[in-house]
Amino acid sequence: MILVRKLTKRYGQTLALDNLSFEVRPGAVTGFLGPNGAGKSTALRIILGLHHPTSGEALIGGRRYDRIRHPMREVGAVLDANAAHPGRSAVHHLACLARSNRIGRARVRAVLDQVGLADVAHKRVGGFSLGMRQRLGIAAALLGDPAVVLLDEPINGLDATGIRWIRSALRTLAAEGRTVLLSSHLMSEMALTVDDVLIIGRGRLLAETSMTEMRDRFERDVLVRSPRAADLAAVLTGLGASVTAVETDTFVAAGVDAPAIAAAAAAAAIPVHGLTSRGATLEDVYLQMTGEAVEYRSTERTAQS
Amino acid sequence: MTTMTRPGTADSSRAPAPAVRRSQLWRDAVAAEWLKLRTLRSTYAFLAGGAAATLLGMLILFLLVGSFDGASAAEQANYETADLTVVVMPFVTFFLASIAAMSITTEFTTGSIGPGLLAVPQRRILLGAKATTAAAVGLIGGLLFALLALAGATLLLGDRPAPLNPWPSWTHALPTVACAALVVMVTSIVALGLGVVLRSTASALVTLGGLVLVAPVFAHFLPTTWHLRFASVLLPNLTPQLAGADHPYLLSPAGALVMLLAYVGVALGAGLIAFGRRDAT
Repeated sequence: MILVRKLTKRYGQTLALDNLSFEVRPGAVTGFLGPNGAGKSTALRIILGLHHPTSGEALIGGRRYDRIRHPMREVGAVLDANAAHPGRSAVHHLACLARSNRIGRARVRAVLDQVGLADVAHKRVGGFSLGMRQRLGIAAALLGDPAVVLLDEPINGLDATGIRWIRSALRTLAAEGRTVLLSSHLMSEMALTVDDVLIIGRGRLLAETSMTEMRDRFERDVLVRSPRAADLAAVLTGLGASVTAVETDTFVAAGVDAPAIAAAAAAAAIPVHGLTSRGATLEDVYLQMTGEAVEYRSTERTAQS
Repeated sequence: MTTMTRPGTADSSRAPAPAVRRSQLWRDAVAAEWLKLRTLRSTYAFLAGGAAATLLGMLILFLLVGSFDGASAAEQANYETADLTVVVMPFVTFFLASIAAMSITTEFTTGSIGPGLLAVPQRRILLGAKATTAAAVGLIGGLLFALLALAGATLLLGDRPAPLNPWPSWTHALPTVACAALVVMVTSIVALGLGVVLRSTASALVTLGGLVLVAPVFAHFLPTTWHLRFASVLLPNLTPQLAGADHPYLLSPAGALVMLLAYVGVALGAGLIAFGRRDAT
């Protein structure tokens, strides 16, 4: 369990985090979403004791990170794929971390094998691609078989196979009852991976929800096509839905979801040719939520007439 | 803010980690820091630099001995003392202390301070482990190179008399060798402190070079009174004062020891404050 309470961080005049509070539960993959500059990395760095908060606190399992002894056995984290000495080999990089936490050499070999870097274990990190460095970072995070995993933009630099692998790995970790928090600025990426979502903008929490509820909440209405549209519309109106005709065989029903429409049509023996749930895409919802909180915005170029 | 309910999930039922004593944390951190030093090529490059400086010192002594042997008795009486530690050890000190400085500055410049602090988030313990490793490298390396220089000097000087030969026998040089190693150790800790405060390899090494190699030369340009005051507190000049050898400086062995302790205190104090308060980026 990760608990963040009233976290505020100032860098001079810049307010990076503004009274941020949230919880991350075990047994689920939680996405930490926000546009660039929203404060995701700052929050993660404070949770992990790398930055000092101006006020507030961040606790993992009820303790500040810097109070945990041999923390890699409890918490695994990747904050920067490039944060390994380029002159050191992958196996030595992991061995140094492992030694500080009394983790055996066998575990180093196991995680290198797990992330697919066993063949390049003795090569210097300086010669690694971004994807290989990302895998090395994930290997470091998994070294101590931790109950809590925090990853900052873990998919950056990974190829399609790597992305699929990390999604699967994160799902497995969560299924084992671990707490998994990963940050991203891409909603599309999160939609396929996470159970819960924390959305922040300009250092403030904008939303704390599950992915399912987020989808449901922003689902607007259902487009219905039936050769007996008028009869079906009457049935649905009787169920409390509001109906708007579009064409003779098509109408839009609001206040009732697609499965309920299908059930009602089947009960009334009315054929249905199409049911389309219409709602804002998750991307739309995310952009709508964070639109006001974007720190850096590009200027759209309009055509000159 | 939008808040929605989420289904509750039972907390993971993992066994709590066994209690770890602080001393065990420190030992593990020291072992990890030792492994970090051993697994970088730059460590061996600086050790090679120390070896090269020692060999170069021997070459200079070889030439000096040749010149001494060809000189008249009157000229021989005016020769400088051929204490190889005076020529070699400032350079050895610079190379060995550079290892200490780079043990922290490269972590800042490569970003590997992040994983380092994730592994050992107790900053005092991490810095203490680095200081211990730096001190060990400085003391052992300093002792080895000083002994190597002494062995070379003993062989090259043979039974030549004073003033060229500074010691009646090689055993008389041992206090100087031990004190030289102690000064290298302290300089390594100072270099680590510089590295923590400056967080840049270039800045730390330039400052270290200034302290160990340039400042003693600069001191000669000061008026005599100020020269002695200033030169007496410089790290390389603490070796003869600590050993109680024949020297022109102002400090007694006890005074030199206090000065060494002050260097350690200031370096570690500044390092602890800087490392503890700053965000690690």
